[in-house]
Amino acid sequence: METGEKINRGLKALEEKVLDRNLCTACGACLSLCPYLRSWKGRVVKLDDCNLEEGRCFAYCPRTEVDLDEIYQTVFGKNYEEIDVGPARKIMMARAKNPIWRKKAQTGGVVSSLVDFALREKIIRAGILTPRDGDLLPYGQIIRGRKGILSAAGSSYVSGPTLEALNRGAWKGQERIGIVGLPCQVLALARMKTSKLEKKTPIDQVNLVIGLFCTWALDYKPFMAFLQDRVDGRSIKKLNITPPPERIFEVLAGNKLYRISVDGIRPFIRPSCRVCLDMTAELSDLSIGTVEGKEGWNTVIVRTAMGENLLKRAKRAGVIETRPLSKNNLNHLKEASLLKKRRVLDALNEKGGIEKAYFTLSPQLIKRILSESGESLT
Amino acid sequence: MSSIGQNAPGKTVLLMGNEAIARGALEAGVKVCAAYPGNPSSEIIGTLAKVAGKMGLHVEWSVNEKVALEVVAAASFAGLRGLCAMKQNGLNVASDFLLNLNLTGCRGGLVLVVADDPAGVSSSNEEDSRIYAKLGDLPLLEPAHFQEAKEMAKSAFEISEQLGLPVLIRSVTRVSHARGNVCLNELPQSSPKPKFDNSLRFHSLPAVMNHKLLHEKLNRAEGMAEKSPFNFYRGPEKPELMVITCGSGWMYSLEAMTNMNAQDRVGILKLGTTWPLPEDFVLKHLKKADRILFIEEVDPFLENNVKEIYAQSCFILGLKSFFGKASKHVPDVGDLNPEIVTHAIQNLIQIPYEPRPADYARRAREAAAELLPARALGFCAGCPHRATYWAVKIALALDGRDGFVLGDIGCYSLGMGPSGFGQMKTLHAMGSGTGLACGFGQLHQFGLEQPVVAVCGDSTFYHAAMPALVNAYYNGSNFLLLLLDNSATAMTGFQPHPGTGETATGSEAPVIDLKAICEVFGAHVEVVDPFDVMATVKTILRLLQDVKGVKVLILKRECALVSAKHQRRLYRVEVDRERCLGETCGCNRLCTRIFKCPGLMWDKATGKARIDEAICTGCGVCSEICPASAIRKEKD
Ligand SMILES: Cc1cc2nc3c(=O)[nH]c(=O)nc-3n(C[C@H](O)[C@H](O)[C@H](O)COP(=O)(O)OP(=O)(O)OC[C@H]3O[C@@H](n4cnc5c(N)ncnc54)[C@H](O)[C@@H]3O)c2cc1C
Ligand code: SF4
Ligand code: SF4
Repeated sequence: METGEKINRGLKALEEKVLDRNLCTACGACLSLCPYLRSWKGRVVKLDDCNLEEGRCFAYCPRTEVDLDEIYQTVFGKNYEEIDVGPARKIMMARAKNPIWRKKAQTGGVVSSLVDFALREKIIRAGILTPRDGDLLPYGQIIRGRKGILSAAGSSYVSGPTLEALNRGAWKGQERIGIVGLPCQVLALARMKTSKLEKKTPIDQVNLVIGLFCTWALDYKPFMAFLQDRVDGRSIKKLNITPPPERIFEVLAGNKLYRISVDGIRPFIRPSCRVCLDMTAELSDLSIGTVEGKEGWNTVIVRTAMGENLLKRAKRAGVIETRPLSKNNLNHLKEASLLKKRRVLDALNEKGGIEKAYFTLSPQLIKRILSESGESLT
Repeated sequence: MSSIGQNAPGKTVLLMGNEAIARGALEAGVKVCAAYPGNPSSEIIGTLAKVAGKMGLHVEWSVNEKVALEVVAAASFAGLRGLCAMKQNGLNVASDFLLNLNLTGCRGGLVLVVADDPAGVSSSNEEDSRIYAKLGDLPLLEPAHFQEAKEMAKSAFEISEQLGLPVLIRSVTRVSHARGNVCLNELPQSSPKPKFDNSLRFHSLPAVMNHKLLHEKLNRAEGMAEKSPFNFYRGPEKPELMVITCGSGWMYSLEAMTNMNAQDRVGILKLGTTWPLPEDFVLKHLKKADRILFIEEVDPFLENNVKEIYAQSCFILGLKSFFGKASKHVPDVGDLNPEIVTHAIQNLIQIPYEPRPADYARRAREAAAELLPARALGFCAGCPHRATYWAVKIALALDGRDGFVLGDIGCYSLGMGPSGFGQMKTLHAMGSGTGLACGFGQLHQFGLEQPVVAVCGDSTFYHAAMPALVNAYYNGSNFLLLLLDNSATAMTGFQPHPGTGETATGSEAPVIDLKAICEVFGAHVEVVDPFDVMATVKTILRLLQDVKGVKVLILKRECALVSAKHQRRLYRVEVDRERCLGETCGCNRLCTRIFKCPGLMWDKATGKARIDEAICTGCGVCSEICPASAIRKEKD
């Protein structure tokens, strides 16, 4: 290697290693930080060359040179070693008590009601959520009240640039911010937090991170083209995936419920999701998903003191109710989570080796994941 | 103010070559003048337009060169004298009519001036228009200096009337645009009344018979050329080397000879009537020397034609050596200058002469660099085209289907370079962008997935893109035409055109509405202000993605140079140094590194951008692109 020539860790590298390889998750971490990157319909596009050797785009991206041990050390004070669902203080079931949340929410309304509670209790002053525009395109939105929370409730299975709102926001002083994000997005937030680059994002103001469970997300453009052929896009009210073994993609449009086999939409899964290790948004304060076979209930993983405290206060205030998660459900959750990791390793192995991946994992850990997970289904 | 309108016989005035031609036409009593602007020809009609009112002329900027020639031919058919001017590419447009007009002949003196642009400095091509004289059997004159430019123009009308044929005058940039002393003659006081003589016929058919008549006229033209004062020889009776030259080559050769002090050894045969050549005159002089060097700009026109004459008589003349473009003693592309001519002569007769010190070129460059700020060829400050290409660049990138832009002729041709962010990918003739788009827009049926975009200026649209747009709709093509409506023919010097509401002579004219035309042609038309960059981006994206068929987006914003004349600046623009991110991550000098409006400067010392107040026109576009909102605009 030539001496003196620095390895690029800027836009050039981001383009080569992420954008050109279709590994972008559209998380939004690099957007509104840089004039050379912009997103359009779920795709992040480079507009011009930037010749800087080092940049925040590359540093924050969840698909570039992620040192998992380093990040888990900074966030949890320990290495990346809890390979099933990540560091967890408690795991339980929960749901919002107030029916207005349950009615609009995707599952049990825990996410929405906790954000609402945190705002009311002034634990945070603003939330960053992900509503969808008239064309079902998700985008990051700063919300400060219940109306905003309701407008963002429910899941979009399309990934969108939520974190752009953090970079774009005109934040006042030491305003505290809470963010709800997918696993890739909470990873990006953790990278912002641990980055040694001169910080110019308001990451230090973020004091609540709620992560959503996620197996995969879809690529907006091809998925919408697929939907438009079947459903009037403008009338879509809700998308849902029924739990396994059924796994049906449900589209509620107008008063009609369309049921599409999940296999039919697999082609639109973002390639970047196929190299994602994280199903349970491990780098958050609270991770929230569904509970298999218990409609209207969320699975909640409490990971930090912040998360624990919020949950406790919300419960005490009667905002949510909790129940223990059954052994069976817990096992399923762990299996599914490990399986996601396993699939990534298998896929990487097929495509030139795990060493070339965007993350670093010790050989022992790789071995553990391979041996403790069930058979890969891919 | 030009002095071409003075009736001051005997007075010597300083005139530009193009003005001298215009003056010659005035002295010949020209009545109707028409042109489409194009460098280096534009000032001919431009100066005549200024005196039109006073001198009772009709002067017009026609919509294109063919129409211009037709307008002038009509005057000629009615017995008036007419002058038409164009640049070399323009003659290609007019040639269809010209190559029928030669067969029909004309009545009143009709002179067509074509100004060539050697090296294509302000053209899309390098072309020698003289070939049209040979192609069309038409007399051709080439002025070598300013006085001659005037005299030739005048005499061209006489020749035209005597032969009943249009006469071509070929100028080149260095004759058209340089200035020199010209002695004026009298201006005529009266002119005939126009009348179309119904007993006459101007039919090109029967073609063969008319072709034969044309050849007879050409023979008479040759007879006139034999006695022409524009052909002469200067030099020793038996020169070692004879330079045969015409047009700008005459001045270059004279200077070269003076530099080398070679007048005793080298002779110059200067020809002004370069088609048809005066055969006897040429043969008489060819006898003088055995070694002959041709000096002329662009193609070896004279060179080949003289060699043809020689070939007919070589038995009598004996062996001779010819040097020029064919022998590579003179470059066969680009323009010439005295230095090139000096080198060519030196090579052939071994005169020791150092035209200038070896490091002259380098030192000149350095000196120039010190005096002039480094500015790349690009759009002016506040130019709407920069904003347009910026929006196009973003829109095509976001669209993500690898769309591309087909170019056309005008200021916006600079879109192929950095100031248009390299967006424009083709450049050919006037209107060709839209024509190519018609074709590309048919390829989607074969699997082309890329969106097709063409650009075209307002003036170019009237000139040649309108038929292409009609074709597009009729044949069901699919593309987006960006009509850059800056209300000016800016490239050639702000001549008015059908959209500006003004004629060549400054009188009011109806405004031909671009939008209405495009709508009538069946296109989906929208209008946007390119200074509103994000609105432009969104509109382009929507048109590309949601509207099928022929779409026209009119980008309406006056040329910065036009608005500077009558309008105060829109905004006072300022960079907030505190906010400017400069070279750091988050910007890395977007404004001065990529957007590059000349109104923006990079201050190395502070590592911040700043506005060059002297240059900024206050359009405020940069405040929209700055990622740090560091560029602030305030209503001025
Ligand atoms: C792409 C995607 C895939 C998922 N996959 C799984 C899965 O495999 N297993 C599982 O158990 N759960 C999954 N979930 C989580 C699940 O759909 C619910 O979001 C979760 O159970 C919380 O329910 P809730 O009723 O508390 O949410 P709500 O109260 O309805 O709140 C949902 C929140 O999600 C946010 N949101 C919606 N769409 C997005 C998006 N595209 N990106 C970022 N944030 C978004 C909104 O801002 C909203 O605040 C997924 C969610 C998404 C968005
Ligand atoms: S674009 Fe804005 S932040 Fe960047 S250098 Fe120019 S003024 Fe400064
Ligand atoms: S406002 Fe900006 S873009 Fe406009 S002329 Fe001034 S510096 Fe150039």
